[in-house]
Amino acid sequence: MDKQKTEQITFRVQRYNPENGSKPYIQEFIVPSSRGMTVLDGLIYIKENLDSTIAFRASCRMAICGSCGMLINNYPHLACHTQIEEFHSDRLTIKPLPNFPIIKDLVVDLTPFFEIHKAIKPYILRNDLEEMENPVSEYAQSHQELENFLQFTYCIKCGICVSACPTSASDKLFHGPQALAQCYRYCADNRDDGELERFPVVGTDHGVWHCHLAGACSESCPKGVDPALAIQLLKRRLVSRTLRLGKKKPPASTVPPPAQSKSKLPFPEFAVKQD
Amino acid sequence: MRQIRPRQNYLGVGGWVWAGNYKLERYLYILHRVTGLGILLFLLVHLIVTTFFRIQGQEVWEKAMTVLNNPLFKTGEFLVAVAFVYHALNGLRLLLQELGLLMAKPIPPIYPYSDSLRKKRLWTMAIIGIIIILCLVFFYDFIVGGW
Amino acid sequence: MRYTYLWLMQLVTGVLIAVLLGIHMVMQHLEDILGFFRVNLNDPASWQSMIERSRQVIWAGIYIALLAVVLYHALNGLRNVILELTPSVRTERVVTRVIVAFGIIIFAWASYVPIALLSR
Repeated sequence: MDKQKTEQITFRVQRYNPENGSKPYIQEFIVPSSRGMTVLDGLIYIKENLDSTIAFRASCRMAICGSCGMLINNYPHLACHTQIEEFHSDRLTIKPLPNFPIIKDLVVDLTPFFEIHKAIKPYILRNDLEEMENPVSEYAQSHQELENFLQFTYCIKCGICVSACPTSASDKLFHGPQALAQCYRYCADNRDDGELERFPVVGTDHGVWHCHLAGACSESCPKGVDPALAIQLLKRRLVSRTLRLGKKKPPASTVPPPAQSKSKLPFPEFAVKQD
Repeated sequence: MRQIRPRQNYLGVGGWVWAGNYKLERYLYILHRVTGLGILLFLLVHLIVTTFFRIQGQEVWEKAMTVLNNPLFKTGEFLVAVAFVYHALNGLRLLLQELGLLMAKPIPPIYPYSDSLRKKRLWTMAIIGIIIILCLVFFYDFIVGGW
Repeated sequence: MRYTYLWLMQLVTGVLIAVLLGIHMVMQHLEDILGFFRVNLNDPASWQSMIERSRQVIWAGIYIALLAVVLYHALNGLRNVILELTPSVRTERVVTRVIVAFGIIIFAWASYVPIALLSR
């Protein structure tokens, strides 16, 4: 595909109107696309020029907000992050993300997804309630301790991993790779002390033990978060706590703020050597 | 505004069986499930044969063995042996990876992203190689020992 | 915590099955390969060989141990597969109880047979 030349690509979009109450159907559009156009650009072209009733979510158009997850040619992608050219085909089939209820066209209901994310308490929990609610100082965390969980903080909550997971396809009570990976992200954070609160939520039949390492979540994640790795490390942590193996490290200590220096300058004063 | 009820969109059991464009580990997951359930079905029949027919004495046993000695059942036995070899070795891989022993360390993601299952794929391939070798061993023995 | 133990038992029984069932498979199917290593088994599926084995306590012990671990591993796996189809809470309880009852009955019957044959 050349930047100047445009090709006519057929977009087969699954439409569904809840007000009619009928079944979903595929509608075809012809979109002129050139090199560099993303699938989201194609959908916006459809909405502006061909059919303005099409509904889809999109916001940042740079793969950081997580709104535009869709099933493109039977594989979940972020529409803004997927070039039309990478499919090497003149027919694209676009469907909403599976394993989520459809509201209209390509818009899915992510409320149960966020409810489960809230249920695993995605925030730092400390034993000292007063210190947790009204912090006055920083926590000590070395670079090595940060590397233990930094990869899992890049999650943008797009829901693509939940669409890819075979267990999520049939088990409606399964937490999904995203919630389990975020649970590990907080348990592995050395500032956090809330393992005992989170383990009864995830260490159940419909929680972490229904993951059987199909690996589809890590493979399809658009940000390289690798939730499969987080879930297996969470299983390792659950097993070692249950069997009482290994020493539990104390949570990060607080670091008092630096003492006020006498100088009013924004940089430390140093004496100039007089020759 | 009228309340809209969202339409259910679960893939169901189809999500177990159809692996689509996903990579190797998803297919290994499907085979693990299929071989497990297959061995369970064989186990029930096997227990009936080795308890009911065994306890009734020699004539009943020998009659059952002559019925079960034809090539169809021998092929079934070979498939069960292959299923056991696959399930055991893949289960060993799952044991190591689910306890975090054969997985990569968490590192900040740098494009192009590579997940830890992909990084350890050489080990997975080695285990599949051992599975294939053992299946050939069983195949050789079935051929030599009379089908 | 209970679910963690159930999963850990799945792993442990898996390893034990790999050993015990490996012995069983090699003995029943791989006689020719064992012949290379000069281990002569005299056709384990024949009646004579079975009578000899049924009189030895160690074989009865191995078979009963194999039965126990296989039943736990298989029925726990089956329960996981059924529970992934998300039945209601009441159905989950019924399924668990049926599987446990099934396992106990099969174990009781199929371990009675080698013990009864020891004395015949």
